[in-house]
Amino acid sequence: MHILETKAINLHYGDFHALKGISMVANKNTVTALIGPSGCGKSTYLRLFNRMNDLIDNVEISGQVLVDGEDIYSRRVHVDDLRKKVGMVFQKPNPFPKSIYENVAYGLRVNGINDKKFIEERVISSLEQAALWNEVKDKLNKSAFELSGGQQQRLCIARALAIQPSVLLMDEPASALDPLSTSKIEELIYSLKKDYTIVIVTHNMQQAGRVSDYTAFFYMGTLVEYNETKIIFTNPQNTQTQNYITGRFG
Amino acid sequence: MTHLDTELQQLKDNLIEMWTLVKNQLSKAQEALFNNDKDLAREVVSLEKRVNAFELGIDQDCENIFALFNPVAVDLRLVLAIIKINNNLERQGDSAKGVAKFVIEFDGPFDKHLLDITRITEMFTENITMLDELTEAFEKEDGVIARKTFKRDELLDEINDHTTAVVAEYIRKNLENTEQALQILSIIRKLERSGDHSKNIAEEIIFYTEAKVLKHKGKDKK
Amino acid sequence: MKISIIQRKRYSQNIAFWAFRLLSFMVVAILFIILGFLIYNGVKVISWDFLTEMPQDGMTKGGIYPAIIGTLCLIVGSILFAFPIGVLSALFMNEYMKDSWFKRFLNQMTNNLGGIPSIVFGLFGMALFVNKFGFGDSIIAGSLTLGLMVLPVIIRTTEEALKAVNDTFRHASLALGSSKWQTVRRVVLPIAFPNIITGVILSIGRVSGETAPILFTVAAYFLPRLPQSIFDQVMALPYHLYVIITSGTNIEESRPMAYGTALVLITIVLIMNLVANALRRYFGKKVKMS
Repeated sequence: MHILETKAINLHYGDFHALKGISMVANKNTVTALIGPSGCGKSTYLRLFNRMNDLIDNVEISGQVLVDGEDIYSRRVHVDDLRKKVGMVFQKPNPFPKSIYENVAYGLRVNGINDKKFIEERVISSLEQAALWNEVKDKLNKSAFELSGGQQQRLCIARALAIQPSVLLMDEPASALDPLSTSKIEELIYSLKKDYTIVIVTHNMQQAGRVSDYTAFFYMGTLVEYNETKIIFTNPQNTQTQNYITGRFG
Repeated sequence: MTHLDTELQQLKDNLIEMWTLVKNQLSKAQEALFNNDKDLAREVVSLEKRVNAFELGIDQDCENIFALFNPVAVDLRLVLAIIKINNNLERQGDSAKGVAKFVIEFDGPFDKHLLDITRITEMFTENITMLDELTEAFEKEDGVIARKTFKRDELLDEINDHTTAVVAEYIRKNLENTEQALQILSIIRKLERSGDHSKNIAEEIIFYTEAKVLKHKGKDKK
Repeated sequence: MKISIIQRKRYSQNIAFWAFRLLSFMVVAILFIILGFLIYNGVKVISWDFLTEMPQDGMTKGGIYPAIIGTLCLIVGSILFAFPIGVLSALFMNEYMKDSWFKRFLNQMTNNLGGIPSIVFGLFGMALFVNKFGFGDSIIAGSLTLGLMVLPVIIRTTEEALKAVNDTFRHASLALGSSKWQTVRRVVLPIAFPNIITGVILSIGRVSGETAPILFTVAAYFLPRLPQSIFDQVMALPYHLYVIITSGTNIEESRPMAYGTALVLITIVLIMNLVANALRRYFGKKVKMS
């Protein structure tokens, strides 16, 4: 079964038709990249899966969004539970003004876990998974703001991993970082694939090529082409896709 | 190991597998020729399809790596080298198939003496040794081992140069064996070409490991 | 030609900068002149006795002890009332309400509340707390009236403090499956707290200085004893100042007392500001470190 699926999704911000009838699926343990020019709807589409669009006033959604086969916009689904299952990493590193340790523990604490030993184990394993443990193990009680931008972003990834979601949404996770930190994040995404299903929005075409198994090209709220990344990057079926990935757009 | 490293390793493994296959094709072709073993020759012909499949697969993988990873520096040279090595190996596979086809199609008594005077055994051995050494050079990224190939290729050229005279002499004495003599001549030409392909491969390995372009330079500079 | 344009540019820039510099110095100068004036005139009467004794001889002698205590009571009382209500309503408006005509209406009303003259608050406080609720002239009536008056200040500054908290923090918290209240309590409030304190500082300044709202609700003309309960009247510094300047038994003789009282009042406000600033810095640091 597909872990993520949308069926004929239409989304309006007030009068603006942001997503136009998008149907797409993503398989377990794959990385799917969403690419396209600014304002094409890729970020909006990403935010369907953890219902972050709910935070914006005047949003209307029709169609179905399924996570693990369950319609997440139905009344039976509680949005807090959904977000435990579908984690998110944002464009700019946004650690809380707390210690490194508390940042990672935050998701556990708000979900009612108080067992100290359990929290500690989970914090350590999450930091290890996010390839940050060796850099921070001696300063877990220092403020997260003392870390570099790239480290902060990996901390945010660790924070998302701590509650063990099955899906990880990433909204341009490396766009605010230097090249070295970017490649670390990319390697991390590659290694996380074995445990998580990842959907990543990126402006960087090469990044999509390097990290993803599937690529979806969005343009003006429509899904123009969706296929294996290999095929999109060597033999796209649509001229618009070809123009975009070769930099001949518009 | 980074994602790209993993992909490159996979690609190298595939190439080495193809390499071994081509080497086996050559030695089977040699065996078929010396023992006039038509079954073995047929095996070589049918295995040639696998060589071709390898070539296509490796080409495809290289294309994907270019498109998805935009390799640079040593990674770029590696993929470029692999594309060309791949191409040369496939041609060497063709040579082996050519020998096997001759074995299948030729009937009638075969003069073993002809094989001896044309030093064809030596040519096969040199070719197979070259492929062995090149595989080692590629795996160890060692330009010194790769350079041994140039010497061996000179030997092949030398044998090839003498062959015309040797075969002509033979035909004058054994007019009834003209056809097989000419066929042997063409096999020798094929083996000489195969040596050239090995030399190309050596150049690619040196290009990849040392970033030196040796192509089209005089012999003395190598 | 070119050179002269460049020179003119430099001259005009220099003139502008000097003007700005002078203006900003003037602000500081005015503050120091006022302070200096008060210290010069008032420091003579300041003594331990002045701070700790009851007024005597028609307020021409003795101290202002009950007025100091009264003002402190009013500060504490009004902040106890206005701080929780102000912060909670700002939280509700900023964190929970979606943008709607009702929210805009509430905002407008808050602004209007802030624009009401303080004497009107006094009148309203008298009508509601003193008479209707029957508190009489008392600390509680005065505190509630002052609290009402500073409520818009606290709401406004709290809202600004909440708006200054970057949405990325809220999103990060919500995306981890926390509820809105958890997000507010564990993430938003700790970050906004230092700035909320600013609102309290401003309110304390107003509460301690206002005369009109306490005129009809709490302030006693002359009451040489300490309050026994929150239903007692008290003296308060600003009103006491007003009384000894305008309607004392011997205005000329109590003039130095007036300057002393003003000096004490200003000192209390300054000390409150310093304390609040220290608190703000302390919490600010805690937010960053913990």
